[in-house]
Amino acid sequence: MKKIVRSLIVPIIIIIVWALVTTFGDIPQSLLPSLPFVGVGLRNMVESGQLANDLLISLGRVVKGFLIAAVLGVTLGSLMGMSKTICEMLLPLFTTIRQIPMMAWFPLIILWCGIGESSKVVIIVIAAFFPILVNTLSGIQSTPEGYLEVAKMYHLNTWKRFVKLYLPHAIPQILVGLKLGLGVSWMAVVASELVAATSGIGYRMNDARSMMQSNKVIVCMLVIGLVGILMDKLISTLFSLFTPWEKVKKYN
Amino acid sequence: MSEAIIKVEHLNKQFIVDKKPIQVLKDINLEVQKGEFITIVGHSGCGKSTLLKIICGLVGYEDGVVERNGHKVEGPGPMCGMVFQDHRLLPWLKIKDNVGFGLKDLTKKEKEETVQQHIDLVGLHGFENSYPSQLSGGMSQRASIARGLANNPSILLLDEPFGALDALTRIQMQKEILRIQKEQGTTMVMVTHDIDEAIVLGNRIVVMSARPGEIKDIIKVSTAARQRNSADFSYVKKRIYEYLFEDSEQDAETDYVI
Repeated sequence: MKKIVRSLIVPIIIIIVWALVTTFGDIPQSLLPSLPFVGVGLRNMVESGQLANDLLISLGRVVKGFLIAAVLGVTLGSLMGMSKTICEMLLPLFTTIRQIPMMAWFPLIILWCGIGESSKVVIIVIAAFFPILVNTLSGIQSTPEGYLEVAKMYHLNTWKRFVKLYLPHAIPQILVGLKLGLGVSWMAVVASELVAATSGIGYRMNDARSMMQSNKVIVCMLVIGLVGILMDKLISTLFSLFTPWEKVKKYN
Repeated sequence: MSEAIIKVEHLNKQFIVDKKPIQVLKDINLEVQKGEFITIVGHSGCGKSTLLKIICGLVGYEDGVVERNGHKVEGPGPMCGMVFQDHRLLPWLKIKDNVGFGLKDLTKKEKEETVQQHIDLVGLHGFENSYPSQLSGGMSQRASIARGLANNPSILLLDEPFGALDALTRIQMQKEILRIQKEQGTTMVMVTHDIDEAIVLGNRIVVMSARPGEIKDIIKVSTAARQRNSADFSYVKKRIYEYLFEDSEQDAETDYVI
């Protein structure tokens, strides 16, 4: 409880300052909207179904891109973690590509895929792939030698070794990767929609900006932040579901 | 004399460290009879764990003969179980699944029965569904022994299994392992650095020198000598002590307390 109260102190101060500034200051609504004006914007967007619609479109892209990135990242990360040869073949390449900022992919992706659905999904895949890959790889690689000796004792084949040793050992780190990956997916979709799109929450923001509807811009920003937190919580919940043995430690 | 279940002849082993060969085992000769309990004592780094791993098939060898049941050792097999110092239970598996980890080609029911039987054998009844992190060190080692025995191996190799346990638990576990060996008739070879433990458990004690590991002597232990407070026990202990510290005999005189 104390924790929640503490976490709310600074946001409340910001809101109070915001309210004071917009009430007593001489700032045009189009630059910094007042709180009630933001409320009006929110109501309009909710009632017209615009917000839900944009949100669903953006989330749909995130789900597609993130799932592809997750499958690719976990698979390749596992293969690289278990095979030194594959790792040596791919790691230098991936490390180099990873240095290219997400935004720097836009020109090429737009050239290749246009500004339709696929370009957004591709951007998300590129953005989310690396954190998932790197974390999976490090999780798999850190599997203690002792456990592998046990596997050797009982002649486990590669698949069994993966399922019974590597994967469970790496799950906590894979989930960290997925958490980061989902976070950047969400950032990537908003960014790509800001640059070139005709729908989605990022597009809506840019659209509102061009019409000087600062209240709608703020509503979109708040929603983006909120959705991000919910996604983070979702992965954390999945984490405890998938690793029942981590939970019991608390009672030990 | 019955046939040797483990036979090691003229075994030499080198490791390459920093491109330089380092001899860890030198001309090891050892025969273990069926049903025997052999303990191996020596300084840390003398290669005794390596010897165990070679017998088990986890580590290869180039020079010499190593046989189990008359067959050349070419890798780990179900007839030879192993218990490690750090119990190496998999944290994500419940105790019953850890114990059944190496079981293959059994129906579900057979597997369950075997697992239960071995959990009962090591006295872990009631902890089948616990995770390793919920068990104490001694209990984890019990589970590890159960896993090692689940395949009904004729040989169980123990690599300093009680080294990380406190003194009281260790004595308790020593009694347990003797009981288990009696019940199962498994041939056991245990590496330890605890001289008392070596005497209490071993029918014969293999004393190894520091690197390169050589067998200095193999001491037969009488039943009388296995009693901790007997004179024979002290005598054997002194003998081993002298072997291990013959380079610094002065210290042996002053430090040694019977």
